Amino acid sequence: MTTASEHARPALAPAGSWRLPLGSARSGRSLLLDKRACVANLLLAAALWAACVASLCLGEVSITPRAAIAGLFGYGDFMDVFVVQELRWTRLLAGVLSGGAFALAGCLMQTLARNRLATPGIIGLDNGATAFAVASVLGVGLGIAPPAMALVGASVATAIAFGLAGGIGTQGYRFLVAGIGVGAAFDAITRLMLARSAIDAANAAYPWTVGSLNGVGALALNMLAIGLVIGLIGAAALARALGVVRFSEGVAQGLGIRVAHIRLGALVLSVGLTALAVAVAGPVGLIALIGPELARHLSSRRGVPLMGATLAGALLMVVADLAGRVLFSPIEIPVGLISTVVGAPVLLWILLRPGHKIGV
Amino acid sequence: MTVPFEAPPLSLTSPLQAEKLCVSYGRRPVLSELDIAFPREQVTAIVGPNGCGKSTLLSALARLHTPQAGRITLERRDIRSYGARELARALALLPQNVTAPEGLTAAELIRFGRQPHQSWLRQWSAEDAAVVDAALAAADLQALAHRPLEAMSGGQRQRAWIAMAIAQQTPVLLLDEPTTALDLGHAIEVFELVRDLAAEGKTVVMVLHDLGNACRYADHLVAMRDGRVVAAGPPSEIVSRELVRELYGVDCTLVTDTDTGAPLLANVRRARDIAAPGSSIS
Repeated sequence: MTTASEHARPALAPAGSWRLPLGSARSGRSLLLDKRACVANLLLAAALWAACVASLCLGEVSITPRAAIAGLFGYGDFMDVFVVQELRWTRLLAGVLSGGAFALAGCLMQTLARNRLATPGIIGLDNGATAFAVASVLGVGLGIAPPAMALVGASVATAIAFGLAGGIGTQGYRFLVAGIGVGAAFDAITRLMLARSAIDAANAAYPWTVGSLNGVGALALNMLAIGLVIGLIGAAALARALGVVRFSEGVAQGLGIRVAHIRLGALVLSVGLTALAVAVAGPVGLIALIGPELARHLSSRRGVPLMGATLAGALLMVVADLAGRVLFSPIEIPVGLISTVVGAPVLLWILLRPGHKIGV
Repeated sequence: MTVPFEAPPLSLTSPLQAEKLCVSYGRRPVLSELDIAFPREQVTAIVGPNGCGKSTLLSALARLHTPQAGRITLERRDIRSYGARELARALALLPQNVTAPEGLTAAELIRFGRQPHQSWLRQWSAEDAAVVDAALAAADLQALAHRPLEAMSGGQRQRAWIAMAIAQQTPVLLLDEPTTALDLGHAIEVFELVRDLAAEGKTVVMVLHDLGNACRYADHLVAMRDGRVVAAGPPSEIVSRELVRELYGVDCTLVTDTDTGAPLLANVRRARDIAAPGSSIS
C-alpha cells in the first residue's frame, strides 16, 4: 500500500511524543515515548529520591544527608551507620516497595474495571489478605507464612467478589459493590479473631490491621521485591492494550484487543501485588487510590500511567511514613492512619467533583 | 444448449454474509435463522422497530456475540477463524454511545485506530503517520486535530470516532446508529462522510433509526422485524406503504424525491387497524 517514497520519508512522531527508532527505518520498528509521561516520571523519581534521603536523615536522631548516604555503605560515625542501616534502611525499602506495589495494583484494577473507585482496598482485597495473614500470625488454620497467606486471602476475596458480581460489568459497579461487602465481611472476621485470641497473640497481630512499616520481616520484603519486578514487567507488556481497554468493550474488541485476556492478566497482577504489599505494610489501601490519581494528573491521557503510579505510590508511602515518624515524635503514627487521613478527602473529591466522569 | 444469463452469486459481490444466524440473550432468541449479504462498496442501512435485533446483528457481525447457530463469513472465511488483530484489520466497528478517556484530542483518538497494525516493537511508523493524517483529512478535522473531544460539537466528535475507524484501514466498516444523538445538520455531516467512504471503496453497514435518512443515504436497505429480515434491496425498490406499515405500524404516503429518486415518507400517522409491532412478543 505504501510506496517506496513514503518509506524513505522519516516517520513523524505524533504531537507530544518522541519516536525511538529500533533498527533501520525500513523495518518500522520503533518505540513511542510520551513526552509528558516521561517528564512526569522524572519529576516523581526526583521527588522520591529526595523523600528517600529525607527519610534516612530525619527521625528521633537527625543526621546530615552526607552522613546518611555514607552510613548506608558502612562509612562514618558508628552511631550513624547503626541508625541508617539497622533502623531506617529496611523501613525505607519496605515503604518504597509496598507503596509502589499498592499504587501499581490500584492503577491496574481501576483500568481493568474502567472505574477510578475500583481499587484493591475498596473492593476488599486488603481486608481479605489481612484476615488470612492475621489468622496465620494467630496460628489459626494452616501454618503458612503470612505473605503466602495474604496471597491466598486476596485471591479468595477477589474470587468471592467476582462470583457474587458475575463478572466485572461495563462500569465495574456490581464488582465494586460486591467487593465492598466482601471486604466488610473479612474485616469482621479479623476483628473476631483478634477478640477471641490471647492478648499477646493479638498484640503480635495488631500491626497487620492498621498498616505500619515497623518491624518488617525479611521474607515478606524479598517476596515483595520480586513481585514488584514481575508486576512492572507484566504491566509494561499489558500497557498498550490497557490503554485501549479504557474505551468501552465494543471499541476495544473492534481494535483487536482480547479484552477478557487483558483484564484477567491485569487482575492477576493486581491481586498478587496487593497481597505481597499487604504482607509487608498491612492494609494501606488508600495509596492505591491516591497514587494513580496523582500520576494521572501529572501524566498525559494518551496512555495508562503505570510507571507514574508506581513512583507516585512509593513517594506517598515514604512521605506518609516519614510524617508519621516525625510529626508527633516520639509518638509514632502508623502509616495506615496517615494515608487514611489524606486519602479520604481524595476519595470524596473523586466522587463529588462536578462535571467529571468516574471512568479512567 | 444455451446457458441462460445468470447474475453472479451474491458471495462474489458481497464481502460480508450471515447464514442461518441464530443469536439469543439467555433463553430469549434475538435473531432466528437470519440470512443476509451486504453488497460490496456500497452503503447498507439496517432499519426496523426498536428491539428488532438490528444492533445485535451488527454486534454479531463484529464478533461481539457468539451465535448459537449459523455462521458469518468475511471474504468467504468464517469470522471465527480470524485472529483478534487480523479481524480488526479487516473489519472496523463503531458501537453506539462511545466515550473516550477525558482530555483525549481528536488526533490522539484517531491514533488508537492504528492499534491492530502496531505491536510492542513497532509502535509508530511512517505509514501510521500518513494514515492518521489521511483519516483527519477524510473526516475534515485537520483544523481541530488537537482539540479535546469534550470541546467539540456532537457532529465533530462523531466524525472523529469514524476517523478512528477509517485509520484502521479496513475494507468493511460497521456503524451502530452513528447519528442518534445528533441534530439534523450534524447528522448530515456524518452521512456525507459515509457516502464519501463508500465512494472510495469501503463497504459500509450502518444501523439506523430513521427510515427517511436510510432511504436518502443508503444504496441498500435491510428491513428487520422480530429478528428476521423482512425485505432487502435498494430503497426505491423495496420501500412500500405495506413495508412501512409492517415495520412501524404506521400509515404514510410515499413520494419520490425528484432529485435523488429515493422514496420520501410523507403524512406519517398511526395505523389503527393493525397490531403494533412487538405486541406479538408480549
